[in-house]
Amino acid sequence: MTHYSEGSAAINGLVNCTECGLVAKKELTVCPRCNARLSPRRIYSLQVTLALLITAFVLYIPANLLPMMVTEKLGQVEYNTILGGIIVLWEEGSEPIAVVVFVASVLVPVLKFIILFYLCFCAIAQGAVSAKTRVNLYRLTEFIGRWSMVDIFVVAVLVALIQLDHLLNVQPGNGTIAFAAVVILTMFAANSFDPRILWDKPLKRDEITSARK
Amino acid sequence: MIKTQFVACDHCDLLLDAPSLQEEQCALCPRCGHKISRLRKNLMSQLTAYGVTALILLALSNMFSLMTFNLSGNISEINLWQSALNLYFEQYKTLSLIVFIFIVIVPALVIALILFFIALIRLNHRPKALSNILRLIFGLLPWAMAEVFFVGVLVSLVKLVTIAQMNLGWSFWAYALFCVCYAKVLSLLDRYQLWSWLERGYAHDSL
Repeated sequence: MTHYSEGSAAINGLVNCTECGLVAKKELTVCPRCNARLSPRRIYSLQVTLALLITAFVLYIPANLLPMMVTEKLGQVEYNTILGGIIVLWEEGSEPIAVVVFVASVLVPVLKFIILFYLCFCAIAQGAVSAKTRVNLYRLTEFIGRWSMVDIFVVAVLVALIQLDHLLNVQPGNGTIAFAAVVILTMFAANSFDPRILWDKPLKRDEITSARK
Repeated sequence: MIKTQFVACDHCDLLLDAPSLQEEQCALCPRCGHKISRLRKNLMSQLTAYGVTALILLALSNMFSLMTFNLSGNISEINLWQSALNLYFEQYKTLSLIVFIFIVIVPALVIALILFFIALIRLNHRPKALSNILRLIFGLLPWAMAEVFFVGVLVSLVKLVTIAQMNLGWSFWAYALFCVCYAKVLSLLDRYQLWSWLERGYAHDSL
């Protein structure tokens, strides 16, 4: 239950097809050009986004606790988590790479969680930040989302390349699956969020109670 | 029924007049700054050229070795698809397939579909399924992670350079160039323009 924002297609009785960008009358349920389902705002956008986000958040715990990579060096087995791997990189003197991995696999997921939770909160309550800033935050999450996969790709390359039996070999850890799931789920969460609701005004409390009557 | 004289911003739903752009002009949403459309010069030819180049480079990068790892005489070598699919034999089947899909299949599919779409438009042949292809192209875009994989390769290179001698293969350079061409294709791609190419086949007399 919202007031559509001023000047929007929805307030003018029109629907923008999110798939092909055709503007059609709101009575239509299917886009005449691309056959996508039409609705003024994505249906259950908030619920789907939050559900995916919470699932990803739960999976983020094993992703950080379980090892990403298991290295066997001359019979000695070493388990590396995400943070552990970054610390090893830093100590070995490759600070720039440590920063790259830190940004991609720690900063980006955390930032995405914070921004998307905040945007979901904004959609039901008036936030302090302007709608334009919020939509910019949304674009940021859309843009950075894929970059968290870097760590998974690094593991894939290292596992494929380094197989010298007991001299030196690298195996993937269980953390990779959890982490890949986190990245994919947060990407789906960002995709299912409808930024147009950021511009609509949520109903005030007395309006909600009067609507219930 | 259809109102092609209007467009609405995807990010804020502001109703706008459909832009009529000159070459090299860009239409932005006045309220939220979202890009509505950008018309590049010779858009169709540029897309074709960069798309074909990217496909050739991707094919080439599957043919040679990506990099060679030499630890005091112990040599191992991988190519592009091994880097994803070797995980498959380590009981990480789902993960390896996901990696392979993200770094090879989806980028290749996106470009192949764009070229197929352009070919049919050029032939002035617009079957109904063409709108589904166009939807598929834009739906697949977030899942093509070529450049992310390339950064991953660079990170693992730097990790390994301290312990072993690394040699780069032809695939590495081909994939690097592929990433450049792919980025160019992405920057050219414009949903509004592509749908309008499809649109020209429809009769709009009823509007």
